[in-house]
Amino acid sequence: MMLQYLIILLDDMSVSYCHYENPSKVRRLIDLDVLKRGIVWGMKENLNIQFVYPDDELPQEYNEVIESIDHTKIKPQGQDEDADVVVLTEWNGEDVEVKSGVSYIIRTTREKLRGAMSSVHALLKKVNRLNIVMTDVEEFKDGDIDDYKALLEELKECLVDLYGQERNVQLNLLTDRLLLSQMNNCGAGDSTVTLAPNGKFYLCPAFYYEKPMDDVGGLDVGLNIKNQQLLRLDHAPICRHCDAYQCRRCVWMNQKTTLEVNTPSHQQCVMAHLERNASRELQSQLKRNGMKLANSLDIRKIDYLDPFNNYNQWR
Amino acid sequence: MDSRIVMDNKIRQDIPLWENGVAKNITFIVTKDCQLACKYCYLVGKNSKERMSWDVARQAIDYVLSQKDYNQPSVVWDFIGGEPFLEIELIDRICDYIKTEMYRLQHPWFNSYRFSFSTNGINYHEPRIQHFIEKNRTHLSIGITIDGTEKKHDLNRIYKKSGRGSYQDVVRNIPLWLSQFPGGNTKVTISSDDIPYICESVLHLYELGIKDVAINCVFEDVWKDGDDVVFEQQLVDLADVIIDHELYQEHFCSFFMEHIGKPLNPDTDNRNWCGAGMMLAIDAAGNFYPCTRFAQYSLRNKPAWIIGNVKDGIDSNKLRPFLTLDRTTQSAEECVNCEVASGCAWCQGENYDAADTHTLYQRSTAICKMHKARVRANNYYWNKLFRKLELEGRREEFEKQKEKVKNPVC
Amino acid sequence: MEMKKNVGRVTPEECAEIQALFERKNGLAELAKIVTADNTELYEKLVKDMGETGTKFQAWWDEKAKKYGWESHPKGNWEINFQTLEITLVVNEV
Repeated sequence: MMLQYLIILLDDMSVSYCHYENPSKVRRLIDLDVLKRGIVWGMKENLNIQFVYPDDELPQEYNEVIESIDHTKIKPQGQDEDADVVVLTEWNGEDVEVKSGVSYIIRTTREKLRGAMSSVHALLKKVNRLNIVMTDVEEFKDGDIDDYKALLEELKECLVDLYGQERNVQLNLLTDRLLLSQMNNCGAGDSTVTLAPNGKFYLCPAFYYEKPMDDVGGLDVGLNIKNQQLLRLDHAPICRHCDAYQCRRCVWMNQKTTLEVNTPSHQQCVMAHLERNASRELQSQLKRNGMKLANSLDIRKIDYLDPFNNYNQWR
Repeated sequence: MDSRIVMDNKIRQDIPLWENGVAKNITFIVTKDCQLACKYCYLVGKNSKERMSWDVARQAIDYVLSQKDYNQPSVVWDFIGGEPFLEIELIDRICDYIKTEMYRLQHPWFNSYRFSFSTNGINYHEPRIQHFIEKNRTHLSIGITIDGTEKKHDLNRIYKKSGRGSYQDVVRNIPLWLSQFPGGNTKVTISSDDIPYICESVLHLYELGIKDVAINCVFEDVWKDGDDVVFEQQLVDLADVIIDHELYQEHFCSFFMEHIGKPLNPDTDNRNWCGAGMMLAIDAAGNFYPCTRFAQYSLRNKPAWIIGNVKDGIDSNKLRPFLTLDRTTQSAEECVNCEVASGCAWCQGENYDAADTHTLYQRSTAICKMHKARVRANNYYWNKLFRKLELEGRREEFEKQKEKVKNPVC
Repeated sequence: MEMKKNVGRVTPEECAEIQALFERKNGLAELAKIVTADNTELYEKLVKDMGETGTKFQAWWDEKAKKYGWESHPKGNWEINFQTLEITLVVNEV
């Protein structure tokens, strides 16, 4: 895959929209000059630009520069006037005002999700698309499998109910897999690269926050991703045999847990497979209910949750 | 009637690895100290402070013997350093505990184990070492490293304090060692400065009575322009002597393997070369590693790859990249498509240390020109040997007895 | 002078049996050097085990020699090659 997206973090305190936590406590707005050069670089590389916003409003001259190019805005709740993607920090579903055409993200742990299921139901009734990002993947234990299965089952029932009312909401964990016939991962360093406020490139925002020394070039020296092939699916020995196509295949979590960007942890694989299997059940149930799913191939039954355990078969 | 393994004595082949290489390998890094400071040694962090304590060793043994998923039928308990025999009292205690515990727990490994050592041989004759050998005689595998002639050996294998060569102190122990381990083999390491002495050194080892010489070029990027040319000529000279004097009947040199230097199929010949990840190494701090080469004292540029410790056990996530390694994913296109790929070795630890990023998946190609030179000399060797055997009507007998090339254990 | 002669061959399964007994016999013998009588739990088990293993070991040779009718010699002993499964008669004529 070639590079397609440029993510620009507008501030050190730009909202996290993914698995990583943003540890920054101090604002550090990107220099206007860096922002301008970043946009020009993205234009020259023919990339779609996604701006990630902080809590505070930007100076007017920044907004003018941003509006000089087609882009996507990822914003925190409260700053979501003209956002394309909104990260919900407080997500009492009853209270959240939603807009059509906007995607919403909630970052949560299993425990928090379990306690707020009614809010999620309420959100699903209102939004076009909801992404649930689990932030406790690393802590997942095999003993948690039934618990996560139950959460996904409850979400599935909610979707079946909504689809029965002809409300075609998308929920990343369960509906993405229905429409995919190949891997659709995050693509950090492969299809996507991040420009941080320091003017340097990173595989994704998580690498900037966690290891600011691990840049992959900068506006001054250009993009230089060493061993970039390892970020591609064909160089990921476990993932290239896997059909949990909705998995984020998060290279940041890979490196953190297995020390290799191309190798997912047991936890990431098991959770992704529980989601995949729940998607399969959703697919069956929707079909039984007479719903026609365009472009949806049957998801086959499998007897493993971690493809690594099958590696002798595909080695 | 007793029984023992009898070696073939007509055409010398590579000695099969004990238990065909399917044994679990557990390595104790008992000390990071050594009397020598060999110039080519990859252990950049040797020191006299990090000695394994009995407590760490015991916890490691308890952990290993409690693992239900270690289902290999056999085990090799390996002791390395530095120089392992500097810690013979600890090793003796470890081995006694291992034997007792394997028996007490009715562990299947009690019926199939070895204690293995790579030593510089300097204190081999000492009573405390000899007492240990006598006590564990039928379960020992001991390799003494001697690099060849005195000149070649002393080029690299010098004392840490005086800088004096160690040849004389090692060679005096070779007869004793060979009397105790008649099939004893030695491992010779070739670096750039050693190349002019390869032929005479291998022949010298044969003269000392060592019939099996495992020899390899270092994997580090040490090679100078023209090294491959001299290397190739040394191997051709060696081939001439081995064949003309029919030394091939009783002697083996791992540079000459019939099946090396052929293309490899990316689908069917896609196995990893190295066994890192199948092994377990433990250091003085009680940390676990996939191989000793991933401990900090072995690494120049990268942080240690720790996969767990004696208290918390193994973090299996950190082993996953090792267990899914294959040849093509870690190789550059020129290696995948190489016409002489078979037998081209790599060390996973060196790959990691030399890689541009924190990865196992970037195969170092520093050895490329040396491998190609070896393949040319190897082709010469086999063409010459086959011609000779055909002339003497012995080719058929040879073909029947030869074994296929195996991946060495490093 | 030592004389060697190939006198037969066993099956891989038979070879595995004697190899396991051979390894166990050696293991017990070396364990016996370090287990003392005051370790009653292990010592008694070990003594019994050594006896039983020795008996099984000898029984294997007796049984297989009878089964295959291997050539023997008053001053000889048989050896097995665990790799090739071959049985060799080794005669020591002084």
